[in-house]
Amino acid sequence: MSTDTEEHPDIAAQQQTTDEPEIDRGLLEGWVAKMISNPERAYRMAFYTFTIAFLLTTLFPFYWLLMLSLTPSGQFGRESIVLTPGGFDVSLLSEGDLTMGTNPGAFIDVFTTLPFHRYIFNSFLIATIGTVLVLLVASLAGYVFGRLQFRGKTPLLLTVLVVSFFPPAAFFVPLNRLFSQNFAVLEPIVSNGSLYNHPSAIIIPVSALYLPLAIFILMVFYSQIPDGLEDAARVEGTTRLGALFRVIVPLSAPGVATAGVLSFITIYNEYFFSSLMTSGRPEDWAPMLEGVLSFQGQYETLFNLMAASSIIAVLPIAILVIVAQEKIVSGLTQGAVKE
Amino acid sequence: MANVKLKDITKRYDDVTAVDTMNLDIEHGEFLTLVGPSGCGKSTTMETIAGLTLPTEGTIEIGGRDVTNLPPKDRGISMVFQNIALFPHMDVYDNISFGLRLRKYDQEEVDRRVEEAADIVQLEGMMDRMPSEMSGGQRQRVAIGRAIVRDPDVFLMDEPLANLDAELKVHMRTQLQRLHKQLDTTVIYVTHDQAQAMTMSDRIAVIDAGELQQVASPLECYNTPTNLFVAGFIGSPSMNFMDGEITEDGFTSKYTTIDFDPATHDVEPGQRVTLGVRPEDVHLERDQSDAAVATRTFNVVTDVLEPMGDELFVYLLMERDVEASAEGRGEGQLLMSVGPDTTIAEDEEVSVIFDREKIHLFDTNSGNAIVHGLEPKSVPEP
Repeated sequence: MSTDTEEHPDIAAQQQTTDEPEIDRGLLEGWVAKMISNPERAYRMAFYTFTIAFLLTTLFPFYWLLMLSLTPSGQFGRESIVLTPGGFDVSLLSEGDLTMGTNPGAFIDVFTTLPFHRYIFNSFLIATIGTVLVLLVASLAGYVFGRLQFRGKTPLLLTVLVVSFFPPAAFFVPLNRLFSQNFAVLEPIVSNGSLYNHPSAIIIPVSALYLPLAIFILMVFYSQIPDGLEDAARVEGTTRLGALFRVIVPLSAPGVATAGVLSFITIYNEYFFSSLMTSGRPEDWAPMLEGVLSFQGQYETLFNLMAASSIIAVLPIAILVIVAQEKIVSGLTQGAVKE
Repeated sequence: MANVKLKDITKRYDDVTAVDTMNLDIEHGEFLTLVGPSGCGKSTTMETIAGLTLPTEGTIEIGGRDVTNLPPKDRGISMVFQNIALFPHMDVYDNISFGLRLRKYDQEEVDRRVEEAADIVQLEGMMDRMPSEMSGGQRQRVAIGRAIVRDPDVFLMDEPLANLDAELKVHMRTQLQRLHKQLDTTVIYVTHDQAQAMTMSDRIAVIDAGELQQVASPLECYNTPTNLFVAGFIGSPSMNFMDGEITEDGFTSKYTTIDFDPATHDVEPGQRVTLGVRPEDVHLERDQSDAAVATRTFNVVTDVLEPMGDELFVYLLMERDVEASAEGRGEGQLLMSVGPDTTIAEDEEVSVIFDREKIHLFDTNSGNAIVHGLEPKSVPEP
């Protein structure tokens, strides 16, 4: 087989062994032999194996959450929920029960038992303001680190990045003392002069913790915009700041989207400061996670409502990611802007 | 329209001086070219005029107004960049009208001006194209349109033709000159290409190592260069140089002697000088009539011929055993430019003469020009 010998010596060797007296190979052995002669198969196999395993481990919890939320209260027995909701019985369909013994009403109960929509709104508002704040400050800092030359730039950047390695707990005690303090200056803005139970008590520390990463992402993007474009904008009539927001930011859209979405998700999902800086009541700006946990009472835990509220809480983020995914993917992988 | 005045402009970066006490007066409506080799400080000079970098010392005036510390947008300038620098996320209309919209002109005025500018640079009907969909020449025209639409006092161009191909470069060169005539604006142009400088400018400012060497009309720089650098930089192919010494009888170098009276040419016997003569001022002896006043004859050997079509470059060796250097311009070598129809062969012994009136003498140490054109030595009356 001359064509095979040209392809690869290993293939030739493989072919030769088949010419030898037929060895009775087991299933696995024959399979391995095929893999060796055609590595593409092996890569494809590995790809599907890992992808499916990954999807299973990440998506199964969601599936299970859905099953749990559909289970009527009082049916949280150990055996009842594995792949179907507890109390699920197809035979009930013939009796006219469209829910087949499940309880989809949990997705409505979530809002009637507690004002869960208020919790979501709180989280959404905090995450939005926090993201805008992060993008604004990180844009300015990213511009400075990415496009200006000055003494002590690298040490300063490293210091900023080190902040993001600190565990949030390290900041908690001083921040809690600070935010619980009454400041007469704040009284016109906040009713009692303290930031406790105010959204800014969450926004300030959480966005500050996420800021270094956002600065780093934006710095990389902004540094790739050719100097000529900024110069052109400045000659045409913008200030440096104007050039940043009219030319550099629009051209770094993938990077800005990446930093923005990541920061939104981080702040939206934040629990540590959220739970400690508010009383946990929705009117005190307690965020979504507090809402989920509120279904756990002292005497009763409404597991189905916790599950349903968790799914509802994930939806805004899922929508955001789907909408922005094109930008994020190009932002995370490409990162280059052509002139 | 406005004049531009640079007073003692100096720009230092940490330990490098990019521009050294530059003084320059640019007249109303003048086309001035800053020319020099790469890294000579011409772009930095331009950036200080534009306000993109602040000078370490010195002041800049535009139209009699001190603009040294004003941001670029308040200087009444516009600029065309080497890399064109169109905003890639905006279409042609948005690119051209960017500056007008920032200045809050009303929509009608913006439309009228954009249309006018597009008309001048011949971009009608391309208003909604994106820069990525256009050719290099079209993009360059958009960049020029963006610069002229605001009707600036001073028009800065930083190597605007550097990224264009050769044919387009020549075409744009004439377009820019026509534009200058049409707009009647002060233009400051930066290039390292002395051909662009020669062809387009009213005056050229030759810069080397951050220092101004000569500011004069192109022909003046060509005919009476103030120093060795200008002599070598302006003109293509560049001038022939010979290092030598002044004697009682004139100039002597290893391969050459030229007789003249040192006393009438501001030199003293014993002085080290460099003699310069352009390739087109070297003539074959048989064409002697081409030279106004000929020097003595040199017997030389042709080395390599370079026919250019409209002229013929002949590399000459002053003596047969001279070792030719790689660039063909070493000591004992000479470049001659003759008419394209001249019959001449390689390795041929020929006699050449120099045109006395076109010989330049420079002080070897300082590089400064001493005299342009040599008088024949007057023979003492017997």
